[in-house]
Amino acid sequence: MTGKPRPDLADAATAPGSDPAGTTMTGKPRPDLADAATAPYWEATARHELVLPRCDGCGLVFFPPRDLCPGCWNRDLSWQPMSGGGTVWTFTEVHVAFYDDTWADDVPYVVAVVELDEGPRLLSNIVDPDMERLSIGDRVEATFEDRGEGLSLPMFRVVE
Amino acid sequence: MSVLDGIAIVGVAETAIGKLPGRSAISLQSDAGVAAVAAAGLDKGDIDGVFSFSGYSQSMMLHAARVAEHLGLRPELAVVTDVGGPGTHHTALLNVAAAIDAGMCTTALCAYGENGISIRRSGRGRAPGTLTGGEDFEAPYGQIAMISGYALFAQRHMHLHGTTSEQLGAVAVTSRYHASLNDNAHKREPITLAAHQASPMISSPLRRLDCSLISDAGGAFVVTSVDRARSLGVRYARVLGYGAATTHHIGSQAPDLHELGGPVAAARAFDRSGLTAADADAVYIHDACTFSVVAGVEALGLCGEGEGGPYVESGVLALGSACPVNLHGGMLSHGHAGGVFHLLDAVRQLQGTAGRRQVDGAEVMVVHGNGGVFSTFSTMILGRDG
Repeated sequence: MTGKPRPDLADAATAPGSDPAGTTMTGKPRPDLADAATAPYWEATARHELVLPRCDGCGLVFFPPRDLCPGCWNRDLSWQPMSGGGTVWTFTEVHVAFYDDTWADDVPYVVAVVELDEGPRLLSNIVDPDMERLSIGDRVEATFEDRGEGLSLPMFRVVE
Repeated sequence: MSVLDGIAIVGVAETAIGKLPGRSAISLQSDAGVAAVAAAGLDKGDIDGVFSFSGYSQSMMLHAARVAEHLGLRPELAVVTDVGGPGTHHTALLNVAAAIDAGMCTTALCAYGENGISIRRSGRGRAPGTLTGGEDFEAPYGQIAMISGYALFAQRHMHLHGTTSEQLGAVAVTSRYHASLNDNAHKREPITLAAHQASPMISSPLRRLDCSLISDAGGAFVVTSVDRARSLGVRYARVLGYGAATTHHIGSQAPDLHELGGPVAAARAFDRSGLTAADADAVYIHDACTFSVVAGVEALGLCGEGEGGPYVESGVLALGSACPVNLHGGMLSHGHAGGVFHLLDAVRQLQGTAGRRQVDGAEVMVVHGNGGVFSTFSTMILGRDG
């Protein structure tokens, strides 16, 4: 939010007739790179590597990263490199830039849930999709999109 | 014996629904509340508990205290519940029941609604996608609208079970038909399956007419003890069974379709009531999108797993069938301001005040659905009394 808070001048109960500007939002949403529990994940993606936490106790590999194992509550975790391979578990082609123009230059784009070969599922984008052929069960491999200021997002590309 | 056995929903009301420029969420929620109190034959002095939720388009801290202040009430308890979808209202009933049982409240006002259209103009609205827990791992990918989360499941259901867009369209057409029987609905003009198929793709496989509306509206209900309800001389609804289930938060962490919480919540509610889906005179399913109804009829056991598509296409959703669905028009056509209207219309059916959409002799209603992205499920079975 920018500037000092302002009352809602459009509320008919307090001051009818005015029409303040709409919501402002700049840039695509970014994850919190300073979160200690997830920082190693983003440090790895910045190197174009995909790593997920693995519980030293029960062996569970899980997503999203957090500071304890959701399987057994153990806090001794290691970062395990993923192969980058997976399958499309489901997907949607987004045709509308919702809320504001943040995604206006991207539509249509594909959001997918990818099941990694190591088991966990994560949400991402399918880059350069062939919409005539894209299907649940398609094999994909990881790729990375740099978003600047130290952020790279893991994304996926269909492999034949 | 459960504390839920002791409560009665004695009054329901909703405001006008649609684009209501200049109306704050608080004023809509409070106006519905005033009308619900009047509908119960009560007045301001009878209300000694406030239960509410702000809605997601403009989240507010201590929302119930804000409603209480707006209405000039100083209750012992002013409680917010946020479970998502119908669970938000169902857990309010659970809280009211406990409060009445504990002697902390005798008659509660439960107030909901949003000004989802008009709030954006003020610059204060929040995109629900920023509230769904996906800030770090989903929003950066453009997964910012709830409808895209639902689309992921609709797509998978189509892949696994052969469900078609035309089947989803049948839900949209029936919802609009029911809304045409409801003078307060946001969208009342009937639509055809062809219009559904011609409507633009929003987030595949969901088209514009697969999506629930965004509305400015308030809805409220009043709850008291069964003993007090009997003395009021009004018809009221009682809780016959309640069940819920929570499996995940963000969309990527959902289990597969057959492991979602819908069937679990429904089974718990039916078990606790001693009833089955066959006993329901109508069901109300939280229809964030048409696919939600497909998932809902499967969860409630009205058809088998994966058979929701053919079921909804067979005409059984409409008034006149053995178990019609969303007789008020649902969020697809009646209005979407947090989803309380399903519960309100179920109560109206039991009170016999549903007008042209009334089910003759309605005795048992089921209100079911999810919050988040199929994250939480809640099923409540209501019965007639008084």
